[in-house]
Amino acid sequence: MQAEEQDKMNEWVRLTSTDGYDFLVKRKVAMGSGTLRNSLSAESSFSEALSNTCHINERAVIVEKLCEYLSYKSLYDGAKKNEEIPDFQDRVQPEISLELLVAADYYDV
Amino acid sequence: MWRDDIPKPPVGSFENCVRCQKQFTVTKYTVAANPPPGYLCHPCAKSSGSDPFKKPAAPRKRKPAADKRKVESYDERRLPSLAAICIQVISKHIDDVEALGDIGSMNLDEIAKALAKNRSLNAENAPLFYSIENERLVMYDVTNLTPPALCALASLNPNLTNLRLDYCGHMDDTVANAWANSLPNLKRVELLGPFLVRAPAWQAFFRAHPGLEGFLITQSPRFDIESMRVLVQSCPNLRELRLKEVGQLSDEFLEEIKSLAGKLTYIDLSYPGNPEALSEQGLIDLLAMIGSSLDHLDLSGHSSVTDGVLFRGVKPHATTLKSLVLANTTEMTDAGVAEFFSTWQGKPLSKVDMSRNHQLADASLDALLKHSGTELTELNINGWKDVSEGSLKAIPKHAPLLRKLDVGFCRAADDFFIKDIFERCPEVQEIKVWGCPRVTEHCPRKRGVNIFGIETAQIF
Repeated sequence: MQAEEQDKMNEWVRLTSTDGYDFLVKRKVAMGSGTLRNSLSAESSFSEALSNTCHINERAVIVEKLCEYLSYKSLYDGAKKNEEIPDFQDRVQPEISLELLVAADYYDV
Repeated sequence: MWRDDIPKPPVGSFENCVRCQKQFTVTKYTVAANPPPGYLCHPCAKSSGSDPFKKPAAPRKRKPAADKRKVESYDERRLPSLAAICIQVISKHIDDVEALGDIGSMNLDEIAKALAKNRSLNAENAPLFYSIENERLVMYDVTNLTPPALCALASLNPNLTNLRLDYCGHMDDTVANAWANSLPNLKRVELLGPFLVRAPAWQAFFRAHPGLEGFLITQSPRFDIESMRVLVQSCPNLRELRLKEVGQLSDEFLEEIKSLAGKLTYIDLSYPGNPEALSEQGLIDLLAMIGSSLDHLDLSGHSSVTDGVLFRGVKPHATTLKSLVLANTTEMTDAGVAEFFSTWQGKPLSKVDMSRNHQLADASLDALLKHSGTELTELNINGWKDVSEGSLKAIPKHAPLLRKLDVGFCRAADDFFIKDIFERCPEVQEIKVWGCPRVTEHCPRKRGVNIFGIETAQIF
């Protein structure tokens, strides 16, 4: 059971944006978002769970930044106390910060 | 060991000792003088107690214990959430309009909600929502706005007609007085938590805003009968009144409210400081005077709301009601409510909330659906534990326009009931089933509908 779950977590998941861009991330990374976790969990029979694709209702620029944060989160979430974690704030451009805030809030990131 | 003022000169060079002024060669064991500046030669260093060759034994013992403590807290979340990061970036660039881009196209309301959820709305980023042209301002959590910031709010949004502030605990007399002098166009004000404002300040505020049409406050132990009097006298055009969780509510208040007869459309006097504050007769008399123009009535939490109030107050007078909230008014009986709905000539209601009245059951539900089912959009019967399966099934049959439904603690609700709702109520958006053990995680789901309270749902 454990091994199966691990395999599943290593599957790729596709996140699509409103302006036609696709982003591929590992399922494990996408699970960092509460909202995506719910739509991708197989027991809800949402079509997302079956096709491993999630349509994100944001521009590609925002979806890209979301993926960046999700990767950052999955990489450093279990870090030990004395490990240095790089700052993400510098990577958020002020021009997108308002849209990104609303998206981050919706996707529970 | 001590902080150095002058960086250590390179090993092998000559230095003069600050103590004895003798020349010595700098080695890697050279120590700095305490107090700085300067360095000491080896003999002076030893005499001042800091022998660099002395092996420190004590600190080593403490280290393993410190390590153990660290391990316990290793899964502490140190990653800030993306929302928090964005808020920090926004706050940093709040004054730089160019940097933040076109705010107008963004849904400011969504941003306000996001900031409130993180409880990070403060004096720094609140100006994001201010504007001279603003007529409506809604802020969902102004806990962090101090009185000066609240005063500034008024001066920066002078054209406000509609103001709603939730959790404005910091609002006090100075703010009320400042608002009395600004906000000339204010028509509707909705405040949650203005408990610091004293009666005289309220009165000054009312006198300064005679055009006020909506005054809705929740939670104030200081709002007294004198303030009520001044409100009614200064603001004769009042259409919406909410005095929810007001400690001093009493029958005297009802006397004053009667003078608003004919204009008042929205009244909410729920959850007073004392559940027995208002008398049955007082309520009946009030409804007799103001009932005819009422759209919305909320008398939750009053122990004096009995069948009598329904029959002699609501039934004859409040015939144009659209929304009725009588939650936690446990004196109403099943037979009484049933008879009320079956004989009432009033228009069908669109919102009914009679939650937490455990006496009510099948008879009331059937009569309610017969009366208002066709227009019903929001129904809350949380706590009607004795409702049978048959009666519950009548809900989707008779109320096709249903959007929000709360059947918490109605034990008879199960997965088939939910299926029925989906089939017959296409507009449904939210279903609450707290305390319904027969609704399981296998119940059907529909896109766009939120179901809250399934007990056996997985917790991630």
